[in-house]
Amino acid sequence: MNHPTRTRTTLIGLSAVTALTLAGCGGAATQGGGGGGGATGGPIKIGVLADLTGATGDVGTPYNEGMLAYIDWINAKGGISGRKIEADSNDYAYKVPTAEELYKKYVSSGAVAIQGWGTGDSEALRTKVAQDKLPFMSASYAEVLTDPKASPYNFVVAPTYSDQMRVALNWIAKDAGGPAEVAVFHNDSPFGTAPIGDGQKWLTEKKLGLTMSAYPMPKTPNFVGLLSQAKAKNAKYVVIQNVSSPAAQVAKDIKAQNLPMKIVCLNWCADELFIKTAGADNAEGHVLVQPFAPASANKPGNKDIEDYLKGKGSSLEAKGLHFGQGWWTMAIMAKGIEKAIKDGGNLTGESIRKGLETMDKVDTGGVVGTGEVKFSETSHRGSSGSSIYQVKGGKMVEIAANQVP
Amino acid sequence: MATSTGIYHRNYAAELRLRHTKAEKARLALMAVLLLSLPYILNVYWLGIVNTILIAVVGAVGLNILVGYTGQISLGQGGFLAVGAYTSGILATRSGLPVPLAILAAVLVTAGVGAFFGLPALRLKGLYLAIATLASQEIILFVVRRWTWLTEGKGYVEVHRLELFGWRVDRTMFEVQWYWILLVVAALAVYAARNLFRTSLGRSFMAVRDQDIAAEAIGVNLTRAKVTAFAVSSGFVGLAGALLAHYTETVTWERFTLDVSVLYLAMIIVGGLGRVAGSVYGAAFMMLLPAVLTEVAQRLSTVAPFLVEQLPAVKNATFGLAIIAFLLIEPRGLDRIWTRIKDYVRCWPFRY
Amino acid sequence: MSTFVALLVYGLADGAILAVAALGFVLIYKATRVINFAQGEFLLVGAYTFYTAFVLLRLPLVLAAVVGVLFATVLGVLVERFVLRPLIGESAISVIMVTIGLSTVLRAAVQLFFGTAVREQPDILPTGSIELGGVTVPLNRLLVVLIAGAVLAGFALFYSRSRHGVAMRAVADDQQAALTMGISVARVFALAWVLAAVSALVAGVLLADLAAVEQNIAAFGLIVFPVVILGGLDSIPGTVAGGLTIGLLKQFVSGYADPGLAEVVPYLVLVGILMVRPYGLFGETRIERV
Repeated sequence: MNHPTRTRTTLIGLSAVTALTLAGCGGAATQGGGGGGGATGGPIKIGVLADLTGATGDVGTPYNEGMLAYIDWINAKGGISGRKIEADSNDYAYKVPTAEELYKKYVSSGAVAIQGWGTGDSEALRTKVAQDKLPFMSASYAEVLTDPKASPYNFVVAPTYSDQMRVALNWIAKDAGGPAEVAVFHNDSPFGTAPIGDGQKWLTEKKLGLTMSAYPMPKTPNFVGLLSQAKAKNAKYVVIQNVSSPAAQVAKDIKAQNLPMKIVCLNWCADELFIKTAGADNAEGHVLVQPFAPASANKPGNKDIEDYLKGKGSSLEAKGLHFGQGWWTMAIMAKGIEKAIKDGGNLTGESIRKGLETMDKVDTGGVVGTGEVKFSETSHRGSSGSSIYQVKGGKMVEIAANQVP
Repeated sequence: MATSTGIYHRNYAAELRLRHTKAEKARLALMAVLLLSLPYILNVYWLGIVNTILIAVVGAVGLNILVGYTGQISLGQGGFLAVGAYTSGILATRSGLPVPLAILAAVLVTAGVGAFFGLPALRLKGLYLAIATLASQEIILFVVRRWTWLTEGKGYVEVHRLELFGWRVDRTMFEVQWYWILLVVAALAVYAARNLFRTSLGRSFMAVRDQDIAAEAIGVNLTRAKVTAFAVSSGFVGLAGALLAHYTETVTWERFTLDVSVLYLAMIIVGGLGRVAGSVYGAAFMMLLPAVLTEVAQRLSTVAPFLVEQLPAVKNATFGLAIIAFLLIEPRGLDRIWTRIKDYVRCWPFRY
Repeated sequence: MSTFVALLVYGLADGAILAVAALGFVLIYKATRVINFAQGEFLLVGAYTFYTAFVLLRLPLVLAAVVGVLFATVLGVLVERFVLRPLIGESAISVIMVTIGLSTVLRAAVQLFFGTAVREQPDILPTGSIELGGVTVPLNRLLVVLIAGAVLAGFALFYSRSRHGVAMRAVADDQQAALTMGISVARVFALAWVLAAVSALVAGVLLADLAAVEQNIAAFGLIVFPVVILGGLDSIPGTVAGGLTIGLLKQFVSGYADPGLAEVVPYLVLVGILMVRPYGLFGETRIERV
């Protein structure tokens, strides 16, 4: 015996609920790009991906702060050609799927350019930004991002990891004054292995008389095995391609075991954080290859940053050089946007890319690379030089400026 | 036929049907209407999230076959997703195989790998099996990270935009076109899984879960059942991995860590172990949770700014709390909650 | 030769910490048959609690240690009472998932309060090195082995001689019989979790002292699994043997072979043992009753 009333009631009830729900979330019909952020006027929308609480958060935080500080500073001066920058900055904690979701959000809300952060998101979004035609700058300095044929919309402001490795090897060859073994400790990831192949090629090309062996660093900070293997090969130099914390641990282990090895850090561990985490005694004497000038180098390009931070009751020394890194990366993108606006027409991702490629060289006052950053249609590598510092008395002291491979 | 005293069948065919009553069929029709209209209601961002849900549904259904229906605990999801993703990605980009064949190959390869890693299940049970699958997860991930041939030294595999017999997924309609593809695949996967448990093979899986020694006594070949369960489940997961590779267009090892395995387990626990519909609910819930949290945090950013500042930590905490809450309050998951609601409405004003 | 000795000492130190961490795990399993996936996070919480007391609140060392132990005790009691007890009798997968959920919540809580930046802590153990047969050996590593040994020995004494220890062994052996003898099984469960949290605190603090106070400490918890499977899930001497073996193995592989391989070798050992002797070197073979 059927109960037609009961099934009918259920049916009606469910349809009513569904209809209400659909009506409630309807009206959000395909909300496409919000007018491209105002193609001819109005704020310039930029999407910013940051790692504030993830694996690289300790350097990602000052970088993001520097970037947002620049935007704050330039907006206070009236913006770029009278148009303010509207940055949507979100923490993706180095989780690539979150970065992809945020990217989609930025695209659908009309961003004209994207500031990324790490190798993970830069890789994942490389082809997408090319197809969506949005210029992408990040703090991932991998070689592949500098080739416009492979990555047409990526721009790398600083020397690549390979460039830094070449500079490091040049310096080691000079310091060693003869054949020597170089151990390379690297992060166990594409970020870590990026400069190794090019480093080997450089050694054979330039006949530097050095031999190189690469060791991936485990996640848990136990590097005794690596050091003992390096010691067995009589390595006198340890190039580290990793972030500050594991590098600091290596420094501590070298001191504890009294090993005659000198660390040469590439940019991600060549900072004040390395000195602080290792402790000034353990870090003493080690060499840092850093394309971004720290506060202690007293470069004119850092003056605006110092003034801005003084106004906020802080200093570049306190924030660390990654603050300046973020500031200048955004500043260089701003110069590209300025050129695009000057060239006229709608402000789109494509026009900004053109602007970045055709703008005059940006004088960073000695802060980024050799001081000048220039892109072109055939090269998206902004600069290739780095300065070399040594830890003396707990501070980064410049021992070789503007070294180009 | 449904009556006020219950549902009665007059022949076997009627008993095996997936939907018995008019109400069930009506709900199915409503759901179909809703799914067909989604691309016209949602914006690109939310449609993208729905797409990730659909891929997760395929994976969760696969995992549920293994864990929910056959009772074999597995922490190796991430590894199998990786196998499927890399196989399909590499075949599609490097050997020029048409994408549907690449995906099929990925399914078969993952099923094979799954069967291999299922061999410990013949000797181990429960906790020991869980730990063995944890080991398999870490080992597969290590191989994926170190085997440079996989990524040709680049560290990641780039997959071209999906192309089928000359038709390419469009850039502007990316999410919408992918939605239709994924909807069809997910619907087929769900239907296939549901069908599996109308067959004797499916019932043998459930027998292994409930009382494996008794099952052996009545003639269920335990070895065949367990290994087949692992193979079938891994096939589904391999499919999810292949879809992931083509949808996100990059294959990196970071997408296949232990956290992903835990996420999928959470999906089926929260959704309901041993119910295909549970996998769907669980996948939707677990993938929507972070997105909804992000929205809520941004809306509340003026009132409670710490939510936005600490969003990743808040997301993780909510994820863990959701798992614990479900296990403490309703261990049989969302599916059970929904069943209870249906029963309540159906029997009202009586208690049962 | 000196390389060998250096690797030996470092491996023993790591292994000793692993053994202490795994001790808590085995205690919980023996008493309650629960696999605690959150053991790594207990180490993490222990290390950060001690950090808070010692560095942020600037308490003297002993007082900070006491605060740490108190916090660990409370944590153990709360977890057992509110998270595990409602799930007594549920299926294995539910219990595993609830501990996994717990691990996520604990890790997120630490992240919420402390962020993910590495925190420095002044060294507790002396950082000098001594000469041992021509090899420079760091003092702190040697002390770690001694401290861990003391903790394990102290625990072994407690377990075999004290009343509570005997009660724990009784419950581990046969819950029903223990109940009939008047032993409060609920109290024993709580005690097992408390001891697990405290041993994790010790392990976490030692680890933080050797390395740093950071989120990676939790990853140590995953390596506990190969240790307990190798030693036997319900054997305490097995835990010690397993911990030292895995610690040494990792160190030697990292020193003589591919360092990246050292991360995965414990899992290969795990799979090997499961295929050959699933109950571990010292574990008790389980007889399954239908």
